[in-house]
Amino acid sequence: MSGDIRLPAADAAPTPLHDRARRFTAPEVVAGAAALFFVLAAVVPQWVAPGNPLGINPLSAFQPPSFAHGFGTDESGRDIYTRVVHGTGSSLLIGAAATAIGLGLGIVLGTLAGMFGPVVDFTVNRVLEVLFAFPGLLLALLFILVFGPGVITATIAVGLSTAPGYARIIRAQLIAVRRSAYVEAATVQGLGRTQILLRHILPNTLAPLFVLATLGVGQAIVWAATLSYLGLGAEPPTAEWGAMLSAGRTYITSAWWMSFFPGLFIVLIAVTATVLGRSLDRRLRHA
Amino acid sequence: MLRVLARIGGAVFVLWAVATVTFFAVRLIPGDPAEAVLGGPGSMASAEALAAVRREYGLDQPLFVQYLDQLVRLATGDLGRSYALSIDVGPLVLSQLGGTLLIATLALGLAWLLALALATWSTRGGRVAWYLGSGLEIVAAALPHFWFATALIVVFSIWLGVFPPISTSGVAGLVLPVVTLAVPLAGFLGQIMRESLLLALESPFVLSARARGESEAGVRWIHAVRHAALPAISLSGWAFGSLISGAVVVETIFARPGLGRTLLNAVTSRDVPVVVGVVMIVAVVYILMTLLTDLASRLADPRLAVRS
Amino acid sequence: MRSTPQTLAAIAGLVAVGLLATGCTTTPTETAVGDPISGGTFTYASGDAQPSCLDPHVGGNFPQALVSAQYLESLVSRDDNGAIIPWLAESWTTTDDGLVWDFTLQDDVTFTDGTPLNASAVQANVAHVLDPNTASSTGYLALGKVASTEAVSDTVVRFELTEPDSALLESLSQPWLAIQSPTGLERSKDENCEAPVGTGPFIVDSWVKQNAITLVRNDDYNSPPADAAHEGPAYLETIVWRFIPESATRYAALQSGEVDLIDNAQPDTIVQAEASDTLVHLDSPRPGASNRIELNGGKAPFDDVLVREAFIRSANVDDAVTSLFQGTATRSYAALGSREPLAVGRDDLFDYDPDAANALLDEAGWSERDSEGYRVKNGERLNVQFPVSTNQSIPAEQSIFEQIQATAKQTGFEVSLAPLDISSWYGALGANEYDAVSAPYTKAGPDVLRVLYHSDGIVPAPSGYFANLAQVSDPEIDALLTEAAQISDETERAALYADAQNRLLEGFHLLPLYDQQNHFLLQADVQGMRTLPSVSVPTLYDTWLNR
Repeated sequence: MSGDIRLPAADAAPTPLHDRARRFTAPEVVAGAAALFFVLAAVVPQWVAPGNPLGINPLSAFQPPSFAHGFGTDESGRDIYTRVVHGTGSSLLIGAAATAIGLGLGIVLGTLAGMFGPVVDFTVNRVLEVLFAFPGLLLALLFILVFGPGVITATIAVGLSTAPGYARIIRAQLIAVRRSAYVEAATVQGLGRTQILLRHILPNTLAPLFVLATLGVGQAIVWAATLSYLGLGAEPPTAEWGAMLSAGRTYITSAWWMSFFPGLFIVLIAVTATVLGRSLDRRLRHA
Repeated sequence: MLRVLARIGGAVFVLWAVATVTFFAVRLIPGDPAEAVLGGPGSMASAEALAAVRREYGLDQPLFVQYLDQLVRLATGDLGRSYALSIDVGPLVLSQLGGTLLIATLALGLAWLLALALATWSTRGGRVAWYLGSGLEIVAAALPHFWFATALIVVFSIWLGVFPPISTSGVAGLVLPVVTLAVPLAGFLGQIMRESLLLALESPFVLSARARGESEAGVRWIHAVRHAALPAISLSGWAFGSLISGAVVVETIFARPGLGRTLLNAVTSRDVPVVVGVVMIVAVVYILMTLLTDLASRLADPRLAVRS
Repeated sequence: MRSTPQTLAAIAGLVAVGLLATGCTTTPTETAVGDPISGGTFTYASGDAQPSCLDPHVGGNFPQALVSAQYLESLVSRDDNGAIIPWLAESWTTTDDGLVWDFTLQDDVTFTDGTPLNASAVQANVAHVLDPNTASSTGYLALGKVASTEAVSDTVVRFELTEPDSALLESLSQPWLAIQSPTGLERSKDENCEAPVGTGPFIVDSWVKQNAITLVRNDDYNSPPADAAHEGPAYLETIVWRFIPESATRYAALQSGEVDLIDNAQPDTIVQAEASDTLVHLDSPRPGASNRIELNGGKAPFDDVLVREAFIRSANVDDAVTSLFQGTATRSYAALGSREPLAVGRDDLFDYDPDAANALLDEAGWSERDSEGYRVKNGERLNVQFPVSTNQSIPAEQSIFEQIQATAKQTGFEVSLAPLDISSWYGALGANEYDAVSAPYTKAGPDVLRVLYHSDGIVPAPSGYFANLAQVSDPEIDALLTEAAQISDETERAALYADAQNRLLEGFHLLPLYDQQNHFLLQADVQGMRTLPSVSVPTLYDTWLNR
């Protein structure tokens, strides 16, 4: 129905960068360091922030950033830096797992559509159109209302609502790759359909998905945050960035730090993932 | 002719499936639709009142009968009656459609302009511009609507007093909702546009245009941008869908009448006819949008028309 | 349990609370300067959901009460001290057995469609509320003891009851039993929902769904309640009633002058408004029940009074209220709101005392702790399921629950907070899948206790919902509340309610938090704005714009 969606070309950085493809650029180094920090925060948060993310102290609520509380305190007097660090794990999990679900479903549907002839393609396309015609937020909302709120349902809901987008892009990419010269060459050589799929088409289709997936992680966290805003996200007192952002929004006129720092970390994750994803992709292509 | 028929058939299928999935999903959620009629959930309605309502709205029938009933009505263009608002869904949804279409279309247009401006600027200004543009796009794409909207209200309504937070004041009231919807979308579109713009700038036809001595601006605007716009055009159908999701949040925050707010209220009160009605209208708009983007793609890239 | 010292303590508490109630109702009227100016458009921004029907007989919720108080009027009203005062009925008498009530109506009142207000009009309204097709719930419940009505004369209407009802007048003061034009009621339900016809100072002009309701002045108005500040038509020409669900937007709209008043004001904006010269704060807590957490005594673990007390002792509510409400709410120790003259507060029962809580849990057999520090008994963790309605609990209240969750954890309670949308929330309650819950309930007068804590209230309504969420099933409380609802002697009634409340609080069935919050912020040039004490809904009849 709609026209093919072209993927952003993976090695589309401006020409001056091409020469240095094998050296680490400054953004890559910074992004690498940030990634290390995020991994540490997700795996061993107590090393990065030794405090208790759930420890309330009502009488020191709404404290602006200070030496004692670098990011300030929230409405229950909890240290926001500690909460942001301890929230990395669940937020990353939401981002990564939702993207994996969306991408996984997208790959299955996209491959079905792109590889198994016009009848399957037609059917899958109709299914995709139905999914597309649903506003993503409604899909997520209905899913959560049916299965109950919480981090897991929110993650699945976000994954589901992003799947059709991935599926359509993968299908378009597959069709483009299948028409390409080297696949035709492989067909002429008499390779079987499965072999062509596994050895030629999928690798050439999936590599560019890195860029897409890295964009997706940040998007998924933002989606989950919106569900928190609607009151259907992570259950309290989980320190999850989306839930913190949503809670902080209530006090935005009097305590900006409550939503600024969780928001900052969502953006940082998105930037880090994008920079690393692109660099990884470039290296894979040049390898 | 066959293609046109297939297209119409596909559209009917989409509408049927959307209505079916929505109907059963909303009925699966815990909560009694009869209570929506009686002043909302938790009403201490009497048995007689509940029975009367169930009879009046056919809720005492088996679920499948209710589904068939709804389907037959939908086929005749009757969207039914709202449980919670006790008015017909058709006129209600149509009255809300305008507000949503207005901000969604304006936001799509603004997102396009922003993305294009950022893309052309950052592909021309060297490394610093590249990183800056890229960074701005990522930040913009990672802005949750609800937070961005609140921040805009604080800055532009409370601190600066420039734009009103609610829509009573005509055009000025549109600024904040449209910007809220447009900026995150612009971040997304911008990333894609810039990549394809770069590709286009290195492509043979641009080289030949340069070789013919066309001005740099001419090369950029006439040839490259047209090609860079292609993927963004085909994404516009998807973008429109995401704007409807955004409208749920934006219409609630800026207290604007519209489909998004209607949808959220209807889901919360288990107002099945309104949920189905809104989803159907959104599906129709989506189908029309993809038709339009297809046409636009063909205009921008004649090869597509030939290929299919 | 009905010992004298307790009753005395209760009455002392009652007096204290009563004083508080009168102190709370100061309105900006006192600072009014100059003579009222007639005219102007007033924009009201409500944070509540848009009602589905403007006729409060249908269903019957708070958003309906808020708007309908501008165009519909009740037979009686309440003054700031909770006493019943005349409104559409100028006087009333009752027989000694309390079974027959005669109301004498004002004789020169007409509805805005020209229909005269008379005894048969009131009869038509009672019939309308009791008609199943109207689908009334709040009004229907309040008329539960009315057997029949009779027009004694053109201006005297008689209510005959099945049993004495000491709450009848309080019930009739509520907007959900307001009197509408019988001609209007004869129209279809849809027409009446769009524009109900009453005797009020304003008339429903138009209603653009999801956007605004427009009300215009009733120039022939002549029936203000006995405590109104003036007579004759209202000052305001037009009222635009808008729905702005998002609190930050509502506050911004007020600040930018686009609206004249907002309801459901949040604590931090109240503090900001009080510091400004351009905005005024009106605090008008709702009558009826306080805001409280009900502990479900119908199943484990809260079927054990020791565990209930332990939970209450391990919840640090005081610090939570101080930090989150920033001085805009006062801690409550009563089942009834401070506006109820018969409320009994027991601040001796609700101290935060982790040591006592630990001892109580040990005594109750929850003496072991698992690796995460939660108490266990017979291999079961001490878990408290706490569904939270995100539509009804404001963010500050949700944060209070989080703080209670944190302090209760220290004594070994695992509190599972589940944020739910309103329909799912009622679903969880109906399915008895909760151990603790906070559910607002507004009904004028102490009879709300019978709705909330009489064992009859455990029997689910046909819709599956039941009001006695603490699942209190205590024959003595039942007897006290039933008797109090029938007795006509005011002193005896007060004593019965005091006994019932003491027994309820001493049984640790509930954890009171604060009054049902009802904060309005308005432009400083809005004069004469007040709330009707019946259920604390604003009336714009005396309001004028000093601009």
